[in-house]
Amino acid sequence: MLRIASYEAADCGDPGSFLRHGGALMSGYFAFLLRRLGQFGLVLFIGINVAYVITHASPIDPVEQSISAVTSFGNTAPDAVEQMRSALRELYGLGATPLDQYRLFWSRILRADFGPSLSAFPTPVSTLIGRALPWTAGLLAVSTIIAWGLGNLLGGLAGYYQKSRTLRLMGVVAIGLHPIPYYILALLLLIVFGYLWPVLPIAGGSAMNLPQSLTMEFVASVLQHAILPALSLILIGVGSWFIGMRSLVSNIVTEDYVVYAELAGVRPWRILSSYVMRNAMAPQLTGLAMSLGGIFNGAVITEKVFGYPGLGSLLVDAVYAGDYGLVLGVTTISIVAVSAGVLAIDLLYPLLDPRVKVN
Amino acid sequence: MCCIRAMRLIASALLLLLFLSAPPSYGQGLPQDIPRKELLILENPEGTIKNAGWFNIWAINAGSQSNGLQQVALDTLWYIDPEAGLDGAWDNSLAADKPQYNSDFTEMRVNLRKGIFWSDNVEFTADDVVATVMTQIMHPGMRFSAVMASNVASVEAPDRYTVVFKLKHPNSRFHTNFTVRWGAVWILPKHVFEKVDDPLRFNFNKPISLGAYELHSYDPNGKWYIWQLRRDWDRTTLARFGKPGPKYLAYIDPGPPDKRVILQLNHELDVIHDIAPEGMFALARQSKTTRAWFKGFPYGHPDPTLPAVIFNTQNDLFKNPDVRWALALLIDIKAVVMAAYRGACTISAIGVPPTGAHPETYHQPMEEWLKSFEIDTGKRKIRPYDPTIGKQIADMLRPSMGEQIPSDPKEVARAFGMGWWKPDPQAAQELLEKEGFAKRNGAWTTPDGRLFSIRVMVEGDLRPVMTRAGTMIVQLWKQAGIDAKIDLAQGTLPTRRAAGDFDTLIGWSVETWGGHQDLSYFLDSWHSQFVAEPGKSQPLRNWQRWSSPALDKIIEEIRTVDFDDPRSIELGKEYIKLAVKEMPTIPLMAYTVFTAMDQTYWTGFPTAENPYTNPVPNWGNSRYMFVRLKPAS
Repeated sequence: MLRIASYEAADCGDPGSFLRHGGALMSGYFAFLLRRLGQFGLVLFIGINVAYVITHASPIDPVEQSISAVTSFGNTAPDAVEQMRSALRELYGLGATPLDQYRLFWSRILRADFGPSLSAFPTPVSTLIGRALPWTAGLLAVSTIIAWGLGNLLGGLAGYYQKSRTLRLMGVVAIGLHPIPYYILALLLLIVFGYLWPVLPIAGGSAMNLPQSLTMEFVASVLQHAILPALSLILIGVGSWFIGMRSLVSNIVTEDYVVYAELAGVRPWRILSSYVMRNAMAPQLTGLAMSLGGIFNGAVITEKVFGYPGLGSLLVDAVYAGDYGLVLGVTTISIVAVSAGVLAIDLLYPLLDPRVKVN
Repeated sequence: MCCIRAMRLIASALLLLLFLSAPPSYGQGLPQDIPRKELLILENPEGTIKNAGWFNIWAINAGSQSNGLQQVALDTLWYIDPEAGLDGAWDNSLAADKPQYNSDFTEMRVNLRKGIFWSDNVEFTADDVVATVMTQIMHPGMRFSAVMASNVASVEAPDRYTVVFKLKHPNSRFHTNFTVRWGAVWILPKHVFEKVDDPLRFNFNKPISLGAYELHSYDPNGKWYIWQLRRDWDRTTLARFGKPGPKYLAYIDPGPPDKRVILQLNHELDVIHDIAPEGMFALARQSKTTRAWFKGFPYGHPDPTLPAVIFNTQNDLFKNPDVRWALALLIDIKAVVMAAYRGACTISAIGVPPTGAHPETYHQPMEEWLKSFEIDTGKRKIRPYDPTIGKQIADMLRPSMGEQIPSDPKEVARAFGMGWWKPDPQAAQELLEKEGFAKRNGAWTTPDGRLFSIRVMVEGDLRPVMTRAGTMIVQLWKQAGIDAKIDLAQGTLPTRRAAGDFDTLIGWSVETWGGHQDLSYFLDSWHSQFVAEPGKSQPLRNWQRWSSPALDKIIEEIRTVDFDDPRSIELGKEYIKLAVKEMPTIPLMAYTVFTAMDQTYWTGFPTAENPYTNPVPNWGNSRYMFVRLKPAS
């Protein structure tokens, strides 16, 4: 548990007292760390089990999906389909008892092995995720951080310089963009920059026929292809951070210590950065950690609209194909990432904000 | 405030830099280092391929099929084109002539072409065909393992260019496994697979081609594949028809329909596989260079596939043909085609798609029988067939579409179909009452007094056109007092369809060759020997789970006659008559595919005026298109 401490200070005049106090703090922090790690493990165990149960309760049968995909266009005799069905059940490991399947799942998870994908058999799930993850992580992490940074910066400025016309206008734009359904905005960008004024690529992660290697040409192509999807995410994302930060700052600027700092002649930028925004950062950092953890779900609409590679489309296709191995792989990574993000913030809070201490 | 000024300055500079540095027209991003005039860009409707580096098409469901692999890199013994074909619908591809069966259809001999080479300079021989069959049989779980294992007793190559199949039981249609409709059993390279320990776990990357193109490059993220014309293209079967026009083919995932339209308007997608009717109309309005199958309305190519209302005939409510007929008579097909396709489709009252060779073989000859066909409602006899419905649809569209709608009756029939069942709510009421149903306070109840409820299963946005058709049919049935509801299955449809977990579904259980009159492609699977018990998985394609001794008799006779025997046409007509009387499915229309072809860089695409092949680019047959394409001047 964390709590905001009252303004009690250690007796700095007594070194022994300080050490005793520091030692107690460290011991308390260590106990907190252990407790928090235990919670982290429990959350992972429960979360992954829930994901396992839900995916296995899916009404979509991966064998039927495979057979449907194979026979939709082919001239397969009906009697052969039954043979195909039993061969696939054996191949996919679906003939084992539910308990054996569950044991196999956990034995694999503990080795960071999600088994083979059923809709791309026998390719391992980890290979498919490994191909898509860098694109998702790159696009979403960068756009989340930019949206977070921009939203907080502008929100902080808008909350502090409440009379600035430019900032008020920015506020109107950010708040105006925020409620627009994402796909509408994405489609609008696509039409404007892909058709009416075709200056930006509207599909793919890089140019066609360009080898994926660390060359300047490839990096430039990746950046150029990321502009529209990233812009769409930033434009939509910046609003919520802006609103949150502006509200926090608007409250803080009325605090006595800010008024005293102004009266004492501290420069406005220093007041804003060191006294106001820093104090408003705690909830925003929590939000950032959760957003960054959440990127491992992918951004399905972004990927679909802009044809951008990533985990979101992989996850959706896996759901439709009844590919529980792949669904579990993506969701497990997401569960771990979100939990780890929250854990990291919890552990860092006492170090980042001196008012927060371990109870 | 200085930081605000600095931010304004930085933002302005960034914007300026972004747009000054961007090329004047970027759109999609064309392949690097490939001249556009040598490149044909086609849509791969499979979308993004998650396992992009997998080219072993013989392993089940592991990678892409229509990324160009089956269209241009692989080959097999025969092709049947759904349209006229370059030299007739039937094409002896790797085979030198037609299959030769013995008298009781337990042996099939195939003579192979000489001088055909794999792209690694190894000659194609009978050993490849034998290896294709034996590899499948020895490894259960491969794509064609079951069908080969259940049919083939032995396969031998008495010499380099002859293959003899000995079959486990008589099968006059065994060759159709090696005959491309959309796909088929593709021949694998023996000299590659014989070195592989486990063919199920072999990715076949880089693929060795037997077709006229070989792999140039591909996106590890599965967005695009580029194929290059082989230097020795003249040592492939396609060379009989000339040199393919495009040196490069790119099969891409262009994304959602809006983007496909944008890309074609930007001339960066030459062939759109399929698009919503509205997208096709937009292209027809805005692009002077876009061409579809039909020059004007209804644009799209009617596939040899027949969407229908499929009853679950194991459900007590739908066991009775009178009930099925009553539901058919409550459907206004004009409303359905307007809802599904905005009128841009070809209707069919009978259980054969109105496309390819079928109108001449089945629809036109059956017309007189259909006009005289009668139903006994219990109170009177009616003749439900209205031969003018196709014309009525054309007339209905003419005020808004103008001269795009043909006026020549033959053209109208070809584009919109011939007749269908005229809506007759009174006859439907009589048929339902005859079977003990009753209408109370405007709502129909079943003979045991329960509300007459019907769920119509549709796939949702995975197949929007069929979903629109289903929604309209639900509305029509509701208007008649039936408690009809849409049953949105989305991705669960294949599982539920196989399990029989539906009342009715909008889908198809009829698919034909199109270019050949034989109906066994789908009809053989309608034999009652394949109908599963309720609750058990039903093998394709008899999703209606309909058992009929009369139909079994027809199917059993078809099995004994040769594929090309005219008797099979007569038997096909008997099936049509039986299906009309029994109505196990209510046929609606051909599955129209709105394939849009941009003529900015390439001309010579197949069209209704020049129907030398199917333009739909994921079909194996679409390879024939490439030899007719010429660079636009």
